[in-house]
Amino acid sequence: MELGSRWDRFRRSEAASGYMLVSPTALYAILLLAAPLGTIILYSFLTDGYLEIVRTFTLANYHEAWTNELYRTVMLRSLGVSMAVTLVTVVLAFPVAYFVSFHVDPSRKSLWLFLITIPFWTSYLIRVFLWKVILGFNGVVNSGLMGLGIIDEPLTFILYNVNAVVITLAHAYAPFAILPIFVALEKIDRSLLEAGQDLGESRFMTFLRVTLPLAMPGVIASVLIVFIPTIGDYVTPQLVGGPEGRMVANLIQLQYLKLDNYPLGSAIAVSAMGIVTVVSLLFLFLNRRYLKGPKS
Amino acid sequence: MKGGGFRIYAICYLIFLYAPIIILPLFAFNDATVIAFPLSGFTTKWFAEMTTQPALGQAVKNSLIIAVSASVLATTLGVFAARASTRYDFPFKGGIMGLIMLPLVLPEIIVAVSLLVVLLGLGVNLSILTVILGHVLICTPFTIAILSSAFQSLDRSLEEAAYDLGETAVSTFRLIILPLVMPGIISSLLISFTISLDEFIIAFFLAGTEVTLPVYIFSQFRFPQAVPVIMALGTILVGMSILLLTIAEYFRRRGLARSGAKDTGGFL
Amino acid sequence: MTVEKPTMIEFRDVHKYYGDYHALRGITAKIRAGEFFSLLGPSGCGKTTLLRTIAGFEGISSGAVMIDGKHMEGVPANKRPTNMVFQSYAIFPHLTVAQNVGFGLRRANLAKDELARRVGEALEMVGLKGYGARAAHALSGGQRQRVALARALILKPKVLLLDEPLSALDKKMREQMQVELIKLQRQVGITFILVTHDQEEALVMSDRIAVMFEGEIAQLADPETLYRRPNSKKVADFIGTMNFLPAEILSEGPGGIEIEAQGLGRVTLAPDQAPGAASGQGATVGFRPETLTILFEGQPTAERESMGTIEEVVYYGDMTYYDVRLDGTASPTRISMRNVFGRPVLDIGARARIAWSAGALVLFR
Repeated sequence: MELGSRWDRFRRSEAASGYMLVSPTALYAILLLAAPLGTIILYSFLTDGYLEIVRTFTLANYHEAWTNELYRTVMLRSLGVSMAVTLVTVVLAFPVAYFVSFHVDPSRKSLWLFLITIPFWTSYLIRVFLWKVILGFNGVVNSGLMGLGIIDEPLTFILYNVNAVVITLAHAYAPFAILPIFVALEKIDRSLLEAGQDLGESRFMTFLRVTLPLAMPGVIASVLIVFIPTIGDYVTPQLVGGPEGRMVANLIQLQYLKLDNYPLGSAIAVSAMGIVTVVSLLFLFLNRRYLKGPKS
Repeated sequence: MKGGGFRIYAICYLIFLYAPIIILPLFAFNDATVIAFPLSGFTTKWFAEMTTQPALGQAVKNSLIIAVSASVLATTLGVFAARASTRYDFPFKGGIMGLIMLPLVLPEIIVAVSLLVVLLGLGVNLSILTVILGHVLICTPFTIAILSSAFQSLDRSLEEAAYDLGETAVSTFRLIILPLVMPGIISSLLISFTISLDEFIIAFFLAGTEVTLPVYIFSQFRFPQAVPVIMALGTILVGMSILLLTIAEYFRRRGLARSGAKDTGGFL
Repeated sequence: MTVEKPTMIEFRDVHKYYGDYHALRGITAKIRAGEFFSLLGPSGCGKTTLLRTIAGFEGISSGAVMIDGKHMEGVPANKRPTNMVFQSYAIFPHLTVAQNVGFGLRRANLAKDELARRVGEALEMVGLKGYGARAAHALSGGQRQRVALARALILKPKVLLLDEPLSALDKKMREQMQVELIKLQRQVGITFILVTHDQEEALVMSDRIAVMFEGEIAQLADPETLYRRPNSKKVADFIGTMNFLPAEILSEGPGGIEIEAQGLGRVTLAPDQAPGAASGQGATVGFRPETLTILFEGQPTAERESMGTIEEVVYYGDMTYYDVRLDGTASPTRISMRNVFGRPVLDIGARARIAWSAGALVLFR
């Protein structure tokens, strides 16, 4: 008994050191992240009165957010755009991650990764604006294609619509998609691939049966890390989306800053997060078999 | 050369990634108000024009104050959390760290509106300070990611050795731990500085009447005649970010080399 | 007779728990001043934990650790008269060799040239003269080990603790360092306590060895006693190779123990040939492979002989190992024979005369 309590004291002291160290950061996150998130969830159940919020519980905001034609369209569009961006980004990113992991000399890998990450860190606004320039009426794509004589008049379906949003977001989140896949590929023991071929599989079948399943945790991480933030992107739809490219973040901004309807804005925000969470969990559930197994 | 097809694809991909950055200086030095091809001629007047805009100067000043404060605060909070999570075990560690790292995936607009609601509810006036609060929140996860790897590669017996040789916990931290994670700290400062300087939405929601650099840039997009100046400004910003990132990468690698750890990749 | 040296370290019924895990189960032992002492055991036996209770990195749950007659309860690691050489060496990567070696002298506030002199001395002692200005991360494994030694010894501790210091080195380097460590210990006269899982290393280096299993000291003795008179089958098995044959105790008296062993017949053993306490699992005799000899044709008859059939032959160059089934036994007995030029290596299936001596047997009961 006496020994047990001594041990408890020791453990408490180890845990205490941990808590003490983590407490400034944790407190900050609780006060400025958890509490605000809780507050908007709370707000989403309140009623918007003139100049102030009425403190009565209601589901009206959610009813409005889910039944109003405009809101529903924007919400579904956001989900669609986010999924398309995720698909495009991850599919385009995989070969790059594969190339860097399997075909680049180990001493040059970090140079490649550095090159891939740099654009991610350079002024997001200006990058988005430049896509407008690239895709615009007199933009790089149109003048290039016209100069080559491939088209006679500028293409208009590439700006101020959903396509432009997808292209721009796919560009913005590329490093986010590449790095988790790269890390997963790096972890694969190369002798497994040799074993696969030794056991009579072709290169391609080895890739399908060995490499791809082992890389899946990275692919799943990529999907989530792209999918979750893109649904809430504001700048890209605002700048290149045009009226038919608006997404949920633009709607939230409108409710908060222009219409001053915090409860409805909150309900839309919470709904968007809810959709993201459900889709992500569904995705994880469908891929659960790749995530089991020994943790390394 | 290995991986022929893949190499060509990867290079095309890099071109796709760099396309906007390559085009940017073309328009910054282009002698035309309209941002479109064909280019008309070389000029540096857009750079000169930047100095004549007092609003820009104020925005730069605000952004610098915010970025410096946010990066110092976020790195400080990051040091605490990274040290706690790599060195100690405590109940609910996963949950606590998960909450702290949440802004990494949370759309910034959610962070922005939720903070806005609470701050206004508390009667706090929106200012540079409120932007700093928001930026610390989104920078901290990045600093933790960088600093954790710095603390992780620290062999625990180094601390014990210093302690064994007569040092106290405090002097061990000063003589051994701090110098060894210093590259991580510098790289974390630079990264948070870059993130904060570039952050738009939180500043847009929380700055009140104050204007930060991205908010200024965003507002100028509405005026076509102002865009060439923004291109010039963007060129400088991009150049600066690349410089800062290169320095950050240098320190990160030096940190790894010092502690003899294997390089496992980039910042993320 | 030499005078018994004074005690440097004493463990009094030391217990250590990690949660429900009982890591140290009542360690009681004394380590003498100036002794080269080893803690030997498989991984997880508690040897490193015990070492760290001396250094002060681990607290104990009950009992007492004394260093040079003083209770260490509540004395932190930085106030104990011990220094440690870590398994990973823990060389500070951002400092030079000289700064590493002189690290512990910082608090002594020595004059610059005095500091340099002492660092130089310490480096010379470990054979690294002139390496002071080198960056620590540019050193080889063996050099790191020496820097770690110099850094720990420069403070002239009463006890030097070595946590598997040779495990990261290759075989050749390890053997060289073993000899150097013994010489160094004789030169400085400090108590060395070595943790190792390598029985050969412990036998080569130590004055005395404590063999540990599952948080307990199974046997504490000098290397020769440990090898020749292990007090349990477990210790015997851990140190070197030992053959076991079932036996039956016929009578026991002050003159000795009479047993009947399978394949060996009736033997009378001296009381010291049964060093262990009774375990109640039945009696077994054990003997080392080199205590048996195969008699080749023409060699004279030995005092004790058994017949057997060779089942396996493993040729090692200087040695040949034979697995011989002694008549009347259920499992083969290993015999190691030094190869002599001109003498043939026997074939599998051959019959052999085996000579052995009653004095080499150990009885476990």
